[in-house]
Amino acid sequence: MNLNEFVQFTILGLTRGSLYALIALGYTLVYGVLQLINFAHSEVFMMGAFGGLIGIQALIGANATLMPVGQALIYLVVGMVFGAVFGAVTAWVLERVAYRPLRRRGAPRLAFLISAIGASFFLQNLAGKEFGRLPQYFPAFIDKSQPVFQIGNQRMNLIQVIIIFSAVAMMIGLDLIVRKTKLGQGIRAVAQDAQTAALMGVDIDRTISRTFVIGGLLGGAAGFLFGMFANVSFNMGFLPGVKAFAAAVLGGIGNIRGAMLGGLLLGLVENWAVLFIDIKWTDVIAFVVLVLVLMFRPSGLLGERLGRAA
Amino acid sequence: MRHRFLATAALVPVLGALSLAGCAKSSTTNTATGTNGTSCVTGASIKAVAAAPGGAAATTTAGSGGGGAATGKTYTIAYQGPLSGDNQQLGINEDNAVQLAIEQANASAQLPFTLKYVNADDQGTPDGGPPAARKIVDNNNVVAVVGPAFSGATKASEPIFSQAGIASVSPSATNPTLTSQGFKTFFRVVPPDDAQGAEAAKFLAKYSPNKKIYLVDDTTEYGKGLADVIEKQLSGLGITVQREGVAQGTKDYSAIAQKVASASVDALYYSGYYADAALFAQALKSAGYKCLAMSGDGSNDDQFVTGAKDAGEGWLFSCPCGDARVDPNAASFAQAYKAKFNVDPGTYSPEAYDATNTIIAAMKTVSGDVTREKVATALRTIEYVGLTKTVKFQPSGEVVGSTIFVYGVAGGKRVLKGTTEALLK
Repeated sequence: MNLNEFVQFTILGLTRGSLYALIALGYTLVYGVLQLINFAHSEVFMMGAFGGLIGIQALIGANATLMPVGQALIYLVVGMVFGAVFGAVTAWVLERVAYRPLRRRGAPRLAFLISAIGASFFLQNLAGKEFGRLPQYFPAFIDKSQPVFQIGNQRMNLIQVIIIFSAVAMMIGLDLIVRKTKLGQGIRAVAQDAQTAALMGVDIDRTISRTFVIGGLLGGAAGFLFGMFANVSFNMGFLPGVKAFAAAVLGGIGNIRGAMLGGLLLGLVENWAVLFIDIKWTDVIAFVVLVLVLMFRPSGLLGERLGRAA
Repeated sequence: MRHRFLATAALVPVLGALSLAGCAKSSTTNTATGTNGTSCVTGASIKAVAAAPGGAAATTTAGSGGGGAATGKTYTIAYQGPLSGDNQQLGINEDNAVQLAIEQANASAQLPFTLKYVNADDQGTPDGGPPAARKIVDNNNVVAVVGPAFSGATKASEPIFSQAGIASVSPSATNPTLTSQGFKTFFRVVPPDDAQGAEAAKFLAKYSPNKKIYLVDDTTEYGKGLADVIEKQLSGLGITVQREGVAQGTKDYSAIAQKVASASVDALYYSGYYADAALFAQALKSAGYKCLAMSGDGSNDDQFVTGAKDAGEGWLFSCPCGDARVDPNAASFAQAYKAKFNVDPGTYSPEAYDATNTIIAAMKTVSGDVTREKVATALRTIEYVGLTKTVKFQPSGEVVGSTIFVYGVAGGKRVLKGTTEALLK
């Protein structure tokens, strides 16, 4: 181990961690307003990746070749928008179909969980059937491994910069929405005390629906970025979904900044584990850290609920 | 109360992860020491050597036709392999070839019976194997099986076939241990990974001036088995081997790629399937790895090129498989295949074709009604001149003889570089 390697693995960790953070926000937002773990969120992520892929392929064709960086970046942003919109639509429909009817009828918490898992299976297999079960790849319109910064042996390549930069931008945007806007105020109010919020004139159904949409936007964009980074397949959501859920719990579920911190931390710990211990222990280390944190801080690192801190 | 729920929810993935870690046997890591050589060979610089395709002219010279008493009867040959999931391409390559062979046999009007075809999807996984095998065995009309395709699924399925006394001829399950498990009716038309591993190791050693090689397997039955053989062989040749296992289905290969790139080795061998190999190739390019990269038959598919794009350039593959597109023996097969399925035959298509025709040849030697038992017995003595080789089985079910080919990616296409025998000269 030397400093050079440590920096490289830290960059890898930040890249992966940013994606975890984006997905984790979806879990945490929904948990904040509904006290529900939306296990189908991993499929929102997957649908976002397919949305981005379909959009990009429709615009430039499946076999597009390398373009100038400026042009490629525009398509990248467009693709991310496609991914985000697909994710948001999926999340919105999910809330309408899988959760709202249960909420209307006052179903027990367990019913929501089963509904979430069922929706997850359904979406996964639907995607497998509609989009094919072979992994698919984005056209190579952008040179992902092109170095952007290079100081000595240290380098950061394009895809890493894109992922970290766009994740940070989206997280700042979300933080602003929740803190400054009326919608954010509504989300916080519902999270704090739904009934009182309703008495004060907050439309609970609409707030919940919009919370899903925001989570879906972030998850879908993350799906697109992940698809650019690796590939797109119907079962791609599962592992990142579980990890991001762990990240949300690590940071304190229901807490937005907690989810960001948890995601980044999980990505870093996983990659440092490769460096210091062994690659086989990657997954184990992540969860060992989670258990240790929960032992001493049962409500996660930042611990508070969405309603109180934003 | 909520905290307790969270702790419980968190425990679920923890247990899963721990059990995974328990399964992953810690492998020996011979850490490289000493000075880091900077010179190494790239895959692109390795010139192709014209391969002399083994086997005589491939026309059907099956055993002399047996009794025609069963005229008019219908029998079914089944195919088992991955027809869905990440690695379905290999299954489709084989499944198509099986269909073609059966169709051609029926059309030849030389059969004393009519053949039907069914398939069973095992997704290429060990847990997908038994249900697929059960589906085949429960179909009383099935007299023999082509497959299973993958080693893990084969290991899980063969006990069922053995019990039912139904012969299975695998076109691609190459794990060495498969023929020493006491399966009674298992045959394969490809040499095991021992042969592939030994040849790949010799090949890697030749292009390793600094005697350091990185070996990564995908922790599957196939990947780990092949890597074990290569590691043993390389150590025997005085090469320092660094070994890691990264689970199949991993999407983010950047960490392991970074490790490989900073280890300054002469060559990397990835023992796994193409879906993962393609991502690994991309990650290696991002990490700045420029030396020789090689993989095995599981990655030797055009889907690797599709996925890896320009990052796949210069990769090499060892494979016990012949290439129907370049082998003159297989020209008519390649043509018929393309005509029927509108794609070129892929990896293991010719082997699946040979396996099917071997079974048909065995069925023809049977007198009276064709039964599962009679086919299994007939396969022990059959000698069939196929596209890739003359198929003749040892008592263990292993095919006689072994030729290993090296393929490479050049200009976005997979090409045959030659046999290891010719390349090592």
